[in-house]
This record gives sequence, C-alpha cells and structure tokens, in this order.
Amino acid sequence: MPDWAGPVLAYAAEGLGRTALLSAISIAASIVAGIVLGSLLTVPVGIVRLPVRAYVEVWRGLPIIITLFFVFFALPAMNIRLSAFAAACLGLSLWASANVAEIVRGAVQSIHTGQFQAARALGFNWLQTMAYVVLPQSVRRMLPPLVSFLANLIQCTSLAAIIGGFELLQSARRSIERLTVETGSSEAIPILAAVMLMYFLLCFPLAQVARRMEASLAG
Amino acid sequence: MSYQFQPGFILEKLPELAAGLELTLLVSTIGMAGSVVLGLLIAAGSSERLPVLDGLGRGYVEVFRNTPLLVQIFFLYFALPEVGIKLQAFTVAWLALVLWGAAYQAENFRAGLEAVSRGYREAARALGFGRPLTFAQVVVPIGFRTALPSVTNVCISILKNSSYMVAISFAELTDTAVDIVSLTFRVFEMFLVIGIIYLGIAWLMGCGLGAVESRLALGEAR
Repeated sequence: MPDWAGPVLAYAAEGLGRTALLSAISIAASIVAGIVLGSLLTVPVGIVRLPVRAYVEVWRGLPIIITLFFVFFALPAMNIRLSAFAAACLGLSLWASANVAEIVRGAVQSIHTGQFQAARALGFNWLQTMAYVVLPQSVRRMLPPLVSFLANLIQCTSLAAIIGGFELLQSARRSIERLTVETGSSEAIPILAAVMLMYFLLCFPLAQVARRMEASLAG
Repeated sequence: MSYQFQPGFILEKLPELAAGLELTLLVSTIGMAGSVVLGLLIAAGSSERLPVLDGLGRGYVEVFRNTPLLVQIFFLYFALPEVGIKLQAFTVAWLALVLWGAAYQAENFRAGLEAVSRGYREAARALGFGRPLTFAQVVVPIGFRTALPSVTNVCISILKNSSYMVAISFAELTDTAVDIVSLTFRVFEMFLVIGIIYLGIAWLMGCGLGAVESRLALGEAR
C-alpha cells in the first residue's frame, strides 16, 4: 500500500462513522415521524389528512439538495444556529419522514377493513385500533420497502458533503484536496473508487435483503 | 424575527433564474432521453439472455444503483482528469444523469419486457418472425407500455437530481439560486421560487406522461 493511503483510510473511517450516524439519526427520526404521519394519512377525516398530505408532497417532491440548502440557509436567517451536520440531519429527516409516511400509509391500507371493524366492535378507539391491531400487522408489509429505502437514504447522506457536513464523501474530498496541495497528485481515482466500494458494500446487501423480503411476501 | 419577505426581489432575479432553468431543462432532457435508450439496450441484453451482455448489464445496474449519484459525479469530474479525460461541467452533468438513470430504467424495462406473456413471442414465431424482429416488433412495443409508469418516475427523479450539479458549480437552476442566496441572503424568496418551479415541472411531467400512458394503453387495458 502506498504511503498516502494510511492517513486517507483512517480519515475515511472517521467519515464512514459519521455517515452511519447521519443515516441512523435520519432513519430513526423518520420512522417515528413517518408512522405518525402515515397513520394520519389513513384517517377518513379530510381536514386531518390535508396538512399531512401537503407535508408529504412537498418534502417528497422537492429535490433533496434544495431541502438541505433550505434548512442550512433558512434557520440562520431566523437566528437559529446549526452545524452543517445537524442541518443535514434535519433536512434528510424531513425528506425521509415524508417517504416513510407513504410506506406506512401503503402498508396500513393493505390491512383488511375487517380488522378495523373488529377493533371498533371491541370498543377500541382510533389510537388503540392503530397501536394494537393495525400497525403491528402492517409491519410485515412495511419492512421490504423500508429496507430498500434505507439503502437509498444511506446514498443520500453523501449530499451532506455539498453543504460542508463531514461524512464519508466529504472526508474523501478533503483528502484529495490535501494530497493535491502536499504532493501535487490528488490520487482521486483510487480514493473515489474506494468510497464507491464502501457505499456499495453498505447498500448492495440491503438491496438484496429487500428484494428477498419482497419475494417472500409475494410468494 | 427580523426577516422581511420581499416579493419584488423575486421579479428582479427572474431573468437569472430563467437562464438556470434553461440549463436544468437541457441536461434533464438529455438525461431522460439517454437513460431511456441506454436502459432499454441493457434490458434487451437481459431479457433476450444475450451471453456476456446480460452479465455486463447486470453488473452495470448493480454498481450504478448501489453507489450515490454524487460520488459518480465526483468521479467523472475530479477523478477522470487524472487519466487525461477532462470533461466540462456541462458534459459531466448530462452524462452522469444518463449513466445513473440508465441503471434504473434498465430495471424498469427488464421488468416490463419480462412481463410480456410467452404467448405473444410464440405467436410471433409462428408467424415466421425471427428473434430480432419478434423482440423489436412484439416484445418491446408491449413491454415498453408496461414499464412506462415506472419509467416516468425515474424521468422525474432525473429532473430533480439535475440539482446535484450544484456540487460541480454547473449553473443550473439550483446552483443559480444558491449563488444568489449566498450573495444576498434572500433565502425564503429564492427557495420559494425554485421549490415551486421543481414541484410544478414534476407535476406537469406526471400529468403529461400520464396522458401518454393512457393514449398508448393497449386495448385490453383501456
């Protein structure tokens, strides 16, 4: 291994840790928010659905970069200071929660109406019906799209690099800049290829698992 | 809160934004067209079980689907010059969208082509169509229609992902808006405008391609 590789790899490992943290925070936040919002999307009362539908359409429909830049620029304009990493967490969570909400909605709507009616007949209110009857049954249907979305989310955490947040791709970018200044050769090809490989090793197994789960659900 | 929303600022910057929008539309259009063509070719290799091409196509799809588009863009823009291939930001912008989109379109088309029931192929063979003719005249026209809704979705993603080019300072719509914001701090005005533009175009595309879908729908589905 060439001399430059050691420090670059150590720095990339640090970046990889931050990528994992960014993914973990965003997926955790978006699962919590997505379950609530997705459940609300199945409420028969239009006035409840409308604001949630608007939230989902906006954050799902906008390019993620715009959401990240918006959070990054807008909060300071309102005198709220956030690091680039925190802004990336928030921006990704907005986008991811809208996507998870749609996944949850689809799963909840796939549950037979008899289940709702039975729960009502037992005297459960809406919250109890969702929490004890419908959501537990819909987990099985949520999991395949959630796993495949997680692979997508991990890839999208690389966008944090654009607003200057530190993660795997940003670590590679800084290493390339440092090597260019110090040694005159950037080593961009091996470094970016290694970064690609790392993302691939994270995302490919997840995609395979999702595919397998989908197949077992269908068959 | 001392932020004052200034609608007049939007009007003032409209010409700049229009120039950015033009580039966004240009690279997105090339990206959509290129990804459909390349994706269909890759899917053809898979669905016709062509030796070597099938394997290459599958490898291509897995690599491009399981690595971030942004890393692919960086590779084209920062790594290729190391081996003497210097691409302009414009070239990188459309090329990255074509290569990335093709991987997703290939999966869509493969699913569409494989959904064409064997009866159609057998009927074509019985009529004396050769394999290439069967593929071109029977399998593609039917499979293409099946794939169209998911192909539309990827086209919309390509439009949205053209905003990634802000990373290589290609002056498309997002880059233009971000530049204006960093100079003037008119955050809400700029993001409101470009947000509406992206959502609006995506919505129009959804409607337009939806109309194409129902126009092309086969007799049985109509």
